[in-house]
Amino acid sequence: MTSQIGVEKKIIAAATVFVLTLSAVIALSVKLYSIDLPTCLTDVKPFTEGAVIQHGPNRYEVQYVAKMWKFEPAEISITPGSTVDIYLAAPDVTHGMQIVGTNVNLMAVPGVVNYARVKFTKPGDYLIVCNEYCGIAHQNMAGVIHVTGDAPPVTAPTKVDAAADARGMELLETHLCTACHSVDGSDGPGPTLKGLHGAQRELGDGSIVTADEEYLRESIVSPEAKIVKNFDDSMPPSEIPPDELAEIIEYLKRLK
Amino acid sequence: MQSAVIPYTRLEVEPGLRRIILFGISFPMVLLILGIVTGFLQVLYRAGIIRAQSFLGIEYYQGLTLHGTINAIVFTTFFAVVFGHAVMRFHTGRPLLLGAAWSSLILMTVGTLMAAVPMLTGDASVLYTFYPPLKAHPVFYIGLVVFVVGSWIAFFSWIPVYKAWKRDHPEHKMPLGVLGTFATFIVWFIATIPVAIELIFLLIPWSLGWTQTVNVPLARMLFWFFGHPLVYFWLLPAYVMYYTMLPKLAGGKLYSDFAGRFTFLWLIVYSAPIGIHHQYTEPGISSSWKFIHMFFTMLVAIPSLVTAFTLAASMEHGARLKGGTGLFGWWKKLPYFDGERWLFSYLFAGLFIFIFGGITGIINASYNLNLVVHNTSWLPAHFHQTVAGPVFLAFLGGSLLLVSTLMGKNVAFRKVAVWVPYIWTLGIMTFSTGLFVGGVNGEPRRTNMGLTYSNPESPLYQSSWEFARIVGSIGGTIMFIAMVLFFLVFFATLLGKRVSEPALEMPVSEPYHDEDVRGVQRLTPWLAGAVLLLILAYTMPFVTVFRDGYEGAPAYSPASPLPQAKQ
Repeated sequence: MTSQIGVEKKIIAAATVFVLTLSAVIALSVKLYSIDLPTCLTDVKPFTEGAVIQHGPNRYEVQYVAKMWKFEPAEISITPGSTVDIYLAAPDVTHGMQIVGTNVNLMAVPGVVNYARVKFTKPGDYLIVCNEYCGIAHQNMAGVIHVTGDAPPVTAPTKVDAAADARGMELLETHLCTACHSVDGSDGPGPTLKGLHGAQRELGDGSIVTADEEYLRESIVSPEAKIVKNFDDSMPPSEIPPDELAEIIEYLKRLK
Repeated sequence: MQSAVIPYTRLEVEPGLRRIILFGISFPMVLLILGIVTGFLQVLYRAGIIRAQSFLGIEYYQGLTLHGTINAIVFTTFFAVVFGHAVMRFHTGRPLLLGAAWSSLILMTVGTLMAAVPMLTGDASVLYTFYPPLKAHPVFYIGLVVFVVGSWIAFFSWIPVYKAWKRDHPEHKMPLGVLGTFATFIVWFIATIPVAIELIFLLIPWSLGWTQTVNVPLARMLFWFFGHPLVYFWLLPAYVMYYTMLPKLAGGKLYSDFAGRFTFLWLIVYSAPIGIHHQYTEPGISSSWKFIHMFFTMLVAIPSLVTAFTLAASMEHGARLKGGTGLFGWWKKLPYFDGERWLFSYLFAGLFIFIFGGITGIINASYNLNLVVHNTSWLPAHFHQTVAGPVFLAFLGGSLLLVSTLMGKNVAFRKVAVWVPYIWTLGIMTFSTGLFVGGVNGEPRRTNMGLTYSNPESPLYQSSWEFARIVGSIGGTIMFIAMVLFFLVFFATLLGKRVSEPALEMPVSEPYHDEDVRGVQRLTPWLAGAVLLLILAYTMPFVTVFRDGYEGAPAYSPASPLPQAKQ
């Protein structure tokens, strides 16, 4: 039956030629269009704080930190035509970073820095999505890159007590409250903090309580005491120093 | 126009082996109900129909962990092992080592239950890929190790059985089914060594608090050394069914015995040295090594193409014997809805889905093209067209075959049984279409989108993913309906009345071309090739992971952004 082997050998040969051609086309695309995969960087040490550095009119370097459950910086504005060098570090667990609509799709792996270069030609708001599971609030982890012809938007202080508010927000971030609780009115793994003070809260057992100052204090120090309906008891009790706790509560009262 | 003769061959087997196989099918089948329900819930969350962290007492990522672990690890491995028992017993005609088979079954069951407890209590919501530094309860990792060791024992127990057969049949080629089963478990053995190293030396001591940190890039490389041969471990039992059963069910012969042997041996060599194609977008691995793994990945597509053409030729042979004519006219003569040959629909539908699963696999593997789809919903779409396509359908059909014949029962609701694979195919093609479209538009996989991206009340709501969500959830619903029907058929068969003497019955295809090619008759050169290629493909990547001395990561619970306190 050796005659049939001839046919099968031809089929295997054809498959091999197909594979070789495909690999050659891919190699060519890497060389011609410079669309390559991230490689091993050994000269960049992992960092823990995000930064935007402008190197020229259309040249930026962004050091992104991916951590539970946000990107830092979460929001940047650049002009169309800008080329951005992206460095990515993960100080806690593994994350993913995809800038939707670009070829930037990077894994953020603890201990190692990842890198990609991207040029933004079209104006628009580019969504950054964490696309690797990183814990219960993974679905909240996103950011945005505004590519806009206007000058980068200046964030003017809108409140009289801007300095105290900044301090309050800093404390919320330091104690990782904002990992689960937003200040913009949207619920995450935990309820939002916006407008919380003075509101009526329905608990898991159906009872209604008013979120007064004492309620805020108790919910921070021993969160398991009152669980709001539709949320669970996964918040750990915190040991915030009393002076900072007082500052946080004052800030929450202003957060309307 | 169908032949009245049932194309099955009978073999009486020992009651002990019967019990092992029946338990090894039924136990994971009960767990599969939970795996299917949690799968269905995924599409409801993703479509924004469920907008919550938990539903029915199961947290989203806990359900996702259960779905992946039960469906892709527990159900598949149990089936591969007991189907391996059946094939070894059937094709060698020799009794198996029942003591070893029992030990294997008990270890696998104990391992499954150990892993199940922390998953059910929510202490192992790390998904079935368990990437550190997210940490599960140590019992989860230990259970996985016990489970894997159990599956090894089954494999080792077949080697003396084959050797005894070979002594009696020195002039015969290894039966194709036996070669396929050995290929399955050689691939599994190669795959599970790195993951056993990851679990035993990195994750278990770390989760117990004996070591403070874990080297994440090293753990990931070990995991993907396991992760890709794992998919061929899933696929190979399906290939055994395709080569040894499908041609007979189609009424013909296997077009080429050589093609089958070549496919099995080639997969032993090329299924493992390609794991870095799962790590294309990661730091810490040079892009040259990524390219080399890409090239080997392309080579592993060859046996799948050979299989596709060989099986099409085998089915054509059967169809022409039944009067099929013309270039395409013979397609009409295949037993798509023949109740006597109900197993045909399970294998045929799986092959159809695999055309798309295979093509999208080549896309994923294509180096820089992966940047567009990596970790998007495109990936689960591809994954379901492979593992939940040819693999899952063949395993469902195989389970039903083993249970009905070994219990001497008729397949219940046979018309429904024949239709299940086609309904499933409709479901999975619809589901994947949604996820493919979403994926190229950036929709992430493994994400509780109901809380944010699919929730119009969230500032993160993405209206551009709406089409993908609707189509995906319609497909998921059809898949769920198909599985409800399958469970009905399966459990009605299991609990039905005995109508004949229990025996192992399988369709057995004879070769049309029984080529005598020396190169595919000895395993050893191929095993040596596999080891050599692994050394070539992995030495340098491992050296760099060690040399660069990455700082270790402490343990994190999925529920808190603070590292877990020292124990």
